[in-house]
Amino acid sequence: MPSQPPLPPLLTPYLSDLPESSLTVISSVLGATSNWLVLRYLHASLSNTANSNTSPENNGSIGRTSRKVVLVSFMRSWDFWKTEAKRLGLDLARLRDKRQFVFVDGLSELFTPSASAFSTVPVGSANHATLPLRNRPTPVPGRGPPAAGSLDRSAQDRRVQGDASNSVRLHFRGRGTAALDAIEKDIISELHRQRASSDENEELLLIIDQLDLLLAATGPGLGIGATEMADWVMGLQQHAHATVLTIAADSPLIHNAATNVHGDCTPIETEHAALALGLAHRARTVMQLRMLETGAARDVSGVLRISRGGGWNAEAKHSLDEKELLYYIQRDGGLRVFGRGES
Amino acid sequence: MSFRKRNVGLSTGADRSAAVSSQSAPIESSPGIRPSPDDGRPTTSTGAPSLDNLLAGHAGLPMGKTILIEENGTTDFAGALLRYYAAEGVVQEQKIHVVGVPEQWGRSLPGLIGTAESLEEKRSDRRKDEKMKIAWRYERLGEFGAGVAGSRDPPSQITAAGGESEAKPAFCHAFDLTKRLTHAGISNMSFIPLVPSKDSPFAAILKELQGALLSSPANTIHRIVMPTLLNPTLYPPSASQPEHVLQFFHSLKALMSAYPTRVTAMITIPLSLFPRSSGLIRWIELLCDGIIELCPFPHSADTVATSGAATSVEEPPQGMLKTHKLPVLHERGGGSDQNVGQDWAFTLSRRRFEIKPFSLPPAEGDTEAQDAATPGGMPKKSDLEF
Repeated sequence: MPSQPPLPPLLTPYLSDLPESSLTVISSVLGATSNWLVLRYLHASLSNTANSNTSPENNGSIGRTSRKVVLVSFMRSWDFWKTEAKRLGLDLARLRDKRQFVFVDGLSELFTPSASAFSTVPVGSANHATLPLRNRPTPVPGRGPPAAGSLDRSAQDRRVQGDASNSVRLHFRGRGTAALDAIEKDIISELHRQRASSDENEELLLIIDQLDLLLAATGPGLGIGATEMADWVMGLQQHAHATVLTIAADSPLIHNAATNVHGDCTPIETEHAALALGLAHRARTVMQLRMLETGAARDVSGVLRISRGGGWNAEAKHSLDEKELLYYIQRDGGLRVFGRGES
Repeated sequence: MSFRKRNVGLSTGADRSAAVSSQSAPIESSPGIRPSPDDGRPTTSTGAPSLDNLLAGHAGLPMGKTILIEENGTTDFAGALLRYYAAEGVVQEQKIHVVGVPEQWGRSLPGLIGTAESLEEKRSDRRKDEKMKIAWRYERLGEFGAGVAGSRDPPSQITAAGGESEAKPAFCHAFDLTKRLTHAGISNMSFIPLVPSKDSPFAAILKELQGALLSSPANTIHRIVMPTLLNPTLYPPSASQPEHVLQFFHSLKALMSAYPTRVTAMITIPLSLFPRSSGLIRWIELLCDGIIELCPFPHSADTVATSGAATSVEEPPQGMLKTHKLPVLHERGGGSDQNVGQDWAFTLSRRRFEIKPFSLPPAEGDTEAQDAATPGGMPKKSDLEF
């Protein structure tokens, strides 16, 4: 168990109590990734119902309503989320079996067409190098067009196929909005399934990890731009109670488009900047992660700036304090969040 | 991961002299794989011990991770690192996949001269023999800035001869760039050519890699080697379109996560053609697990040529090395590694690629500053008497 509480008290008000139809944008840079913060969102939403062994101070502050979470990850595998969540004392595999949590895999087969063979090889710790020699894995017989198949298959069917293929895998086929629509449909069907199995007072949280990858790896060449992506997000937002997005905000991706007046910036930069700025304007909260400007420090991982986005509503009953905090991820996965000058 | 294995890994990574005794029994069935002293995940060597030590306490490249070496200018230091990486894989009898270059590349791998430990021993022996009379008064002060993360043994502890260490399975080997590798495994390398196609030039590469991983037995370890990615002499112009190269990197990441214990990759990219300030390179970096940038000093080749044997122990650095992202550490959030934020300098010599903390040498003739620079302050009077 980490020595620190999984959720630092300074952060808890921001992680829980997400208002209806709100959008939270987490921006990250190369050296300051957003995974730890996404994990904290997962913990804030899932821990109170799942865990009896969480520290007592959490019980009062969060979780009057139970939540369900759908996590769509375009950059990281199920294994990563599972092991990292375990460090926080969150058993995602168990939560998934309880239909509390759904993982949508946007990594494994997004662009790889012939990857149905992937699922024949056991993924994860079972496939450790110390295992004795095993037989050649034989490919499974074809299971039809993957995009359509993933929709038809029932949850029961998927559970049979073992741990790795237990989650829906997204596929990008074709081009333009049609391809985006197919992905959207897959995610929405998961959202609906979650919603159907939940009570009235259960809130459905949608987390999309690095959806900007979808834009970067396709781009205007395949008929997808910032506008299409923004519409895509809007379409998904309608089906969830609240939405959390992570997006890269590295300076080459944001500032090249603004500063290069000579027109020598590429579509990938202009489209990314347009998407990131557009989402920030729509967001209620913007959580901005960046590195220390003054160079690396041993006891600081980076800076977290919490600010109101363009979609923040002054009349709403939920208040939101703007803050700038430092954070430090310890080797054991523990998190410390503190103000400047404090420790 | 059992406690026992973790324990063995700890001693292997942290203290080489202890490893000599504890390594008598094979700890892993696959050669060249050892658990990370940090969290026990399997790691493999990059072929350059000092680069291994740089990788966030794992003392090796964690399996299932991609490392990207970026290089400024027209030099090919990154290519040397890549050759070490490939040669290490050949010696460990792993399966090497080289993308985009003809088979001559495989013939230019550096020759094996023993394990990394044995080179360390020889080096310290040689230092004892050839040491300059000016320098020996510093002998007991230890080498300035020795090693990365304090991994090196003091010379006095080394007693074994070089031949003895061949008996135990070594994690990392030493190579000589002027020699050529002759090893049975070298014919086992596979070269994946770039075939011109209307579609993405990377599609065929991915298919081949997937097929190779799928058809090989589950205990085969693979290494993917991609020299000078997007270099226009190798890659067609369409390769640098984001939808091609970024989709390839994404699929490579998917491949890595599908076989998290069986494959590693090292990719080099020329930064002069594709600057880091461009959005495309930033996305490639976001998709890789480790980013190392090499910034060679201009005209460093001249200074190396003029420096004789006298300075062979303390060679001048040939460039700066920056770590922008380290495997595993940054995925978790980053920041808590002792190596992060240091200024590193690298030196490539015939036999080693060495990474040291960067420090400007004291100005010539400034003896007071030189004395102050030695750790431990002024040497005692008895040390100074000849």
